Amino acid sequence: MSKKLYFFMAILLVASMTLAACQPAATATTAPQPTTPPVAQPTTPPQPTTPPPTAVPPTAAPTVAPTTAAVPQLYCLVTDTGGINDKSFNASAWLGLQQAQTDLNATIKYLQSTQETDYAKNIQAMLDAKCNLIVTVGFLLGGATATAAAANPTQPFAIVDYCYGKDSPLCDPSAGPFDNVLGLTFATDQAAFLAGYLAAGMTKTGKVGTFAGLLIPTVTIFEDGYYAGVQYYNSVKGTSVQVLGYDPKQPDKGLAAGGFNDQTVGKNLANSLLQEGADIIMPVAGAVGLGAAAAVKANGSGLIIGVDQDWTVTNPDYTSITLTSVMKVINVAVFDAAKAVNDGTFKGGAYTGTLENNGVQIAPYHDLDSQVPATLKTEIDQLKADIISGKVSVKPQ
Amino acid sequence: MATTATIYHRGMLAASPRRQRIMGAAFLLFGVAIWLFFIRTVQNPNEVARYAMTLNYEAETKIPDWIVPVLPAMYICMGISFILGIYQIARGFKRWTNLALGLVVALFIFAFLTRETAGASISLAGIFYLTLSSAVTLTMAALSGIMSERAGVVNIAIEGMMLMGAMTAAFIGSVTHSLWIGLIAGIASGMLMAFIHGVLSIKYKTDQIISGTVINIFATGLTSYISTKFLQTYQYLNEPGVFEPIAIPGLVKIPFFGPIFFNNNICVYIMFVVLIVLQIALYNTRWGLRVRSVGEHPKAADTLGINVIRTRYMAVLLSGAMAGFAGSYFSIGSVGRFDNLMTGGRGFIGLAAMIFGNWNPLGGFGAGMLFGFADALGSKLTILGSDIPTQFLLMAPYIATMIVLAGVVGRTMAPAADGVPYEKE
Repeated sequence: MSKKLYFFMAILLVASMTLAACQPAATATTAPQPTTPPVAQPTTPPQPTTPPPTAVPPTAAPTVAPTTAAVPQLYCLVTDTGGINDKSFNASAWLGLQQAQTDLNATIKYLQSTQETDYAKNIQAMLDAKCNLIVTVGFLLGGATATAAAANPTQPFAIVDYCYGKDSPLCDPSAGPFDNVLGLTFATDQAAFLAGYLAAGMTKTGKVGTFAGLLIPTVTIFEDGYYAGVQYYNSVKGTSVQVLGYDPKQPDKGLAAGGFNDQTVGKNLANSLLQEGADIIMPVAGAVGLGAAAAVKANGSGLIIGVDQDWTVTNPDYTSITLTSVMKVINVAVFDAAKAVNDGTFKGGAYTGTLENNGVQIAPYHDLDSQVPATLKTEIDQLKADIISGKVSVKPQ
Repeated sequence: MATTATIYHRGMLAASPRRQRIMGAAFLLFGVAIWLFFIRTVQNPNEVARYAMTLNYEAETKIPDWIVPVLPAMYICMGISFILGIYQIARGFKRWTNLALGLVVALFIFAFLTRETAGASISLAGIFYLTLSSAVTLTMAALSGIMSERAGVVNIAIEGMMLMGAMTAAFIGSVTHSLWIGLIAGIASGMLMAFIHGVLSIKYKTDQIISGTVINIFATGLTSYISTKFLQTYQYLNEPGVFEPIAIPGLVKIPFFGPIFFNNNICVYIMFVVLIVLQIALYNTRWGLRVRSVGEHPKAADTLGINVIRTRYMAVLLSGAMAGFAGSYFSIGSVGRFDNLMTGGRGFIGLAAMIFGNWNPLGGFGAGMLFGFADALGSKLTILGSDIPTQFLLMAPYIATMIVLAGVVGRTMAPAADGVPYEKE
């Protein structure tokens, strides 16, 4: 009898481990297959695929790892815990590599981190696989990527939402700069500023809300810009629209879901904001934001502002309540990094996506286009030009 | 024998003059704390706190906001705490002691909330609404644990069963375009996991903790795999929709509580039905007596002709059904899609609620409401811009659980044969 038991336990354990631990390896896409299922439709309007020359600072180091174009190149992605289907930054980065797969005839693969201890392990697995470029996604992978980059100075890396060195205030000054790491950061506050201005112009209750997944810099930069946009509207129009859930003076006390997975929490937080009278909510919380969208939809009134990608495209269920989305065009930045490796022009340093280079933008109004007053639209366009020219500061006052 | 001794012990605890005095002192301390932390820090004595009593700011039947003058309200809270404390020391509330304690804690929380809301407004109706919506899954998880543990099988696999239920309900619900079939499938998948747990822990007498852990890991892996491979890739497999709220005619018109309790989706009502049925079934029916006897003293039950093995299988399967239902609530009862790890550890918190509620269905519901209340209060205070770190608030119910476990307030008692495999001689 005990034999049967051990057999059964063994099968269960083996099954658990194969499914739990090795799951990313099992699902990794390896062959260059054009039939990769559509993760998300191209989320951005057509736009120039090369960043302007200013994108890579002149301080960047000489080219690393010269490549030969004859063999198909291997580009690898290490995701954060959200995975490539998070409809957020991981999905967007993967989209960039998928473009490299078709346009550059490259081979691509990814590993999903299921917990924080996976970061270093997955990067090492990609190093062992001899990838031509390793893209790591997310602020939380900053530490593990720095360690790997320092240990492998000839391996090109690109990291989304992080950069190293003291040159830019957005970057982590404690490590690097590395000659072999291209940090892809985004001046998200510029686009979020526009969204905040729009929200302030559209609110009926005089209150708009926001909440974070985790209160980390790549998240709070959305909220900073959003808050500043609302304040700017107030100062121009003499209104007093309030922002609930975040105050740039106390960024560590903002409303947060405590993670990026638990949609029920997102739903509760959004309900909480709705009850306090906020009628436009921007959840900066990856998949948790979908819980907020569900809450707004169930509430029957109120609007949502998407983040990272155009939510009307990635979440068609919520088209009717999505006012706009604050987009980080990660896929283009990732593709450009891959293209640089392909062309042998890859350099370390920092790329910053801005309104000017279309690295960040706000999505079209889609279904709600008719509800946005024409004057507000004009003001937003003017504001965008003013931010690019530096006439308007997006920093909270 | 051990059980009888403990019961005497409990009786002595409630009556002991020492405990009576300690409790009284605790009541007084709460009163002092209200004065020390809240009343003394008031800057403007004329400030008022505004409590919104209507759930939706666009609701048709509006109750006017409740405007509370901050300082008098806090003095009243302090005064009642002192009176209760003095009465407790002098005469003692005897068997109503814990009720009095609950009242004092509630006064303290109200004083705290009023202090934080001073000069601003907060939706009181919203706090209760959020409390209930957090409590639904916690309560179902607690009921699932109670069902199984009352029959003597420890079930820490609730989290895994909930994940399976959530995934299956979303998947089957999308494929069949029927939420009801999805719900049934979700419940069935929970029962399937429970069956594995049952076979391992009842038939093969595995350590129940290990069996439960294995199932949790297995469910995490399987659901993540299926989700990543299918549900996320092909959107039409992950669009089950959500049960719409059903307003119960008449009851929904009750001021304040009506819209909170009687305008929910079917899952919430089912939760209440299960709660009441389980409470009555466990304590007032022959079936319940048998289940409990199997959990307390299986050998004695067996001697009297109760089929211990069958009773335990049935309890574990029912437990799985409840966990599967709780899981389904996450996907088709709340947000209308499944995502990896979306249950967020609530199966384990549900177990804490079960312990806090002393393995009693109504107790589990109370504990679930308490935990949900802490969550709701946390988000509200953050929106208010309170200086209190919300993390402390979120910790509070679990600190309370530890206090209860340590036996300070009143000891909880697990079924005597909980976790012990039954070996027929």
